[in-house]
Amino acid sequence: MSSLSNLDPRDYLASGTELLQREALYLDQRRWDDWLALYTPDCEYWMPAWKSEDELGQNPRTELSYFYYDNRAGLEDRVARVVSGRSAASSPMPRTTHLLSDIRLRQDPSAGRLALGAAWVCQVYFPRLKESRAFFGRVEHDLVLRDENWLIARKKIVLQNDYIPTMLDFYCV
Amino acid sequence: MRDLASLIDDRPLDGVFLVHRDAFADRDLFEQEQKFVFEATWNFLALESQLSKPCDFVTTHIGRVPVLLTRDRQGKLCGFLNLCRHKGALLCAGEQGHARHFTCPYHGWTYEASGKNADIKDRQAGAYTAGFDGEGHDLIPLAKLGSYKGLIFGSLSPDVPELEDYLGDIRFFLDLAMEQGPHGMEFIPGRMAYSYRGNWKLQLDNNLDPYHLTTTHLSFIGVQTRRRQGSGYVEARGYDWAKRAKTKAGTFTFRHGHAVYWADQPEPEKRPIFPKLAEVESRVGFDRAHWMLKNRNLQVFPNLQIAETAALMLRTYRPLDVDLTEMKSYCLAPIGESEEARAWRLRQYEDFFNPSGMATPDDTVTYEDCQTGFRAPGHSWLQGYQRGMGGERVGADDLARSLGIHPTASAVGSFEAGLETGLHGPYREWRRLMEAGAQGRKAYP
Repeated sequence: MSSLSNLDPRDYLASGTELLQREALYLDQRRWDDWLALYTPDCEYWMPAWKSEDELGQNPRTELSYFYYDNRAGLEDRVARVVSGRSAASSPMPRTTHLLSDIRLRQDPSAGRLALGAAWVCQVYFPRLKESRAFFGRVEHDLVLRDENWLIARKKIVLQNDYIPTMLDFYCV
Repeated sequence: MRDLASLIDDRPLDGVFLVHRDAFADRDLFEQEQKFVFEATWNFLALESQLSKPCDFVTTHIGRVPVLLTRDRQGKLCGFLNLCRHKGALLCAGEQGHARHFTCPYHGWTYEASGKNADIKDRQAGAYTAGFDGEGHDLIPLAKLGSYKGLIFGSLSPDVPELEDYLGDIRFFLDLAMEQGPHGMEFIPGRMAYSYRGNWKLQLDNNLDPYHLTTTHLSFIGVQTRRRQGSGYVEARGYDWAKRAKTKAGTFTFRHGHAVYWADQPEPEKRPIFPKLAEVESRVGFDRAHWMLKNRNLQVFPNLQIAETAALMLRTYRPLDVDLTEMKSYCLAPIGESEEARAWRLRQYEDFFNPSGMATPDDTVTYEDCQTGFRAPGHSWLQGYQRGMGGERVGADDLARSLGIHPTASAVGSFEAGLETGLHGPYREWRRLMEAGAQGRKAYP
């Protein structure tokens, strides 16, 4: 078996897909530490707001985002809040199922870098409301090779249904 | 008809202020609120900077009524019912944009940005009578339209006070939000729209309720504590809640249902305007510039809230049903500020106020818990309106006099006092308007 650092180009997509599916699994199973460990310490995590019906935010420094963190500490804050037991919106914790589809290369892979795009749906069950809701959109992942493992250096989430019933948290997208 | 006096138990001499839960849950009352409150008074609609050029437009609502705001070709601000005269269809479905004409998608009637009817499709072939010609086919204008410091308000009723008189001395606090930039204020691009399954007055209450902060937002406070200890996203420059408990705070209520809660801000250096404070002081004076740094939660009755707490936020809500409310929240910022200041402001705002943030969702979910509670029979009176009444006085206190404002009541206490006195203003006005409407009297005699 070849190591990730000298992959056959055909295998890039398969190995990246495995990581994206694993991220979805970790979120659904609330394996928060495993989820955080998929990100580089200096990762960018971004879900822009829409500026109008047709125009998505382009610049997180001058336009509003649902989430914008330029390092993993921001994601650690999010996890700390939902596990604190002190957030009404997170207790009881909503249950999620993330589905990814159409995972494809956005650019030709280069040594140690992989740019992926995918379509996503997240079904969320809110026990407080006894109701299920879906959020959906597309997502971009930029992966980098660190110690023979792919890690997420950048993730940009596009949320298509941006009229939010009650709330939305990082585990819903 | 419901006896409205039985919904607000307001006995200042006995130190009692109770609100009946039916005010939040009774469907008949909801219908009356639409008519006697939202359709009878000034409502906040938009910011002038959203329509800065001729032929810009914004759509919004007053209560149930769709509203179209435009600038005509000369740049004059206009407000109309966003409804075609022909069959009543919604005329403009877009939220915001630029258009010289509005064409109804149903039969093609077309209107200019000034509201004037520009075309009735196939009019000559239509065999219309002289009666039709006499009906008038222009868009129906709002009864009143006005703006104050860039905030646009409209009324469906002509029988309202002039806007400046309506706003009264809440203008002092509006100025503190709207005069932070030398070129005016704008919404940072990015729409945040959400809804909750609860009555609109749950949002009214929450904004003037400092008492909830140290329970509802314990998880957010926990994140700030982690950050103070060096972990987490310190770039968000969150405020240190441990420093707030003993800070001085107070409320003022004003005529026409407006109110403010204010509290000292122990970390003014975390405000994004702090590096520009000298410029602000030179424009508005030292005292007002420093009031801009304090925590302030404003209620402009009935549908506008401006809060400068974790960040400067403008929020408006629209009742969709007795137990369903639409929210729109905006990050308000000085026009032309630096990218550095804007990023600073955005991170503070997103951290707390987003429907995907770490604080607002804990509020919104709790509103839904309240609405669930309101369905339970037998538990009638809500006791959430009385903290601080022991420290309240009618009219202006020394602080109000020093600011040159004339509140109907003033209260002071610490942050920990969790003052609920600010809510008396909006609820007294709600009852006054509801009673006037129910008795067929003018809202503003």
